[in-house]
Amino acid sequence: MRTLALLAALALLASMSLGLIQVLRGPGAADRMMGVQLLGTSGIGVLLLLAVAIEQPALIDVALIFALLAAVAAAALTRRRLQEPPE
Amino acid sequence: MTAAFLFSAITLPLGCLFFAAGSIGLLRLPDLFTRLHALTKADNLGLGLLICGLLPWVESPWQGLKLVLIWLLVLLAGATGAHLVAKRALRGDGEDLQ
Amino acid sequence: MPAIVHRHWTTVLARGALFSLLWLILAGTDPWSWLIGLPSVALATHASLALSPPRRRRPRVLALLAFIPYFVAQSLRGGFDVALRVLAPRPRIAPGFIDYHSRLTDPAARVLFLDTVSLLPGTLGADMHGQRLRVHAIDTGVDVRPELIALEQRVAALFAREGHG
Repeated sequence: MRTLALLAALALLASMSLGLIQVLRGPGAADRMMGVQLLGTSGIGVLLLLAVAIEQPALIDVALIFALLAAVAAAALTRRRLQEPPE
Repeated sequence: MTAAFLFSAITLPLGCLFFAAGSIGLLRLPDLFTRLHALTKADNLGLGLLICGLLPWVESPWQGLKLVLIWLLVLLAGATGAHLVAKRALRGDGEDLQ
Repeated sequence: MPAIVHRHWTTVLARGALFSLLWLILAGTDPWSWLIGLPSVALATHASLALSPPRRRRPRVLALLAFIPYFVAQSLRGGFDVALRVLAPRPRIAPGFIDYHSRLTDPAARVLFLDTVSLLPGTLGADMHGQRLRVHAIDTGVDVRPELIALEQRVAALFAREGHG
């Protein structure tokens, strides 16, 4: 099981690097935000997998904080009144 | 090879597959709205499957509930975020109109 | 505050129980954790009563239990649908907007409807003006209205008032 969880975490990391490309590419702030949101969710996945793989339950709490922040992040982006015109 | 392991051996890779589909969707789809489709659905299902696959391996039922709580939070954040981003793109602003 | 507690003591108890469960999940079963947990639960209950005053609505536990499997099934369908579209050699999409007039009158019900629309295959809840919803469809060649109506009925069942079934 530990190997399985570690392999899955590795696969998620690979998928996260694809998400990073999206953050770099944009073009708009919202497109980048979506990339960041994907990174956040994948990051939560990696943390949970590692929590089981290396038997560190504290990582679950870290993932919980990530999840709480994810809820704020999208709201913060969209509630902000931008100077630039929307894409 | 136990049933629990078999279960995880199906759900964990499937979850990763949905995350990958989400990333690929972000890169391949042409505009903001279609990308949102890929992001919300693939992501939430991806994490849901991962958490299902991990549930048999947690130390206590409370920890399992904590995983489910994380999934609910991400679900809420994903659905609300998608709606807010779409609304902002449509109106050029995120404020609610009455 | 005491007036609220007196008139809606079932709501106060239910919310207190919910926040206590949440604390158990977060902090575990160590009895000493309640030293912080009890005040937190009390404050959370107080805040929830202030932000979302109790309404005369019976909690529809059975409807909620019936909603969960539907929700999971739609998430799976929606996820597979979008994954297959994205992974096709040429992404199969024909995006466009659909305007949908919702019959839901409860604002909370409308928000739940809009959020779950995003999980149905091919649709994304984009915008809302009162009862008029703007839904983004990834493939306008597929008629999604029957699915929207089915979902709306399920959400309405969750929020049904007393005396309406």
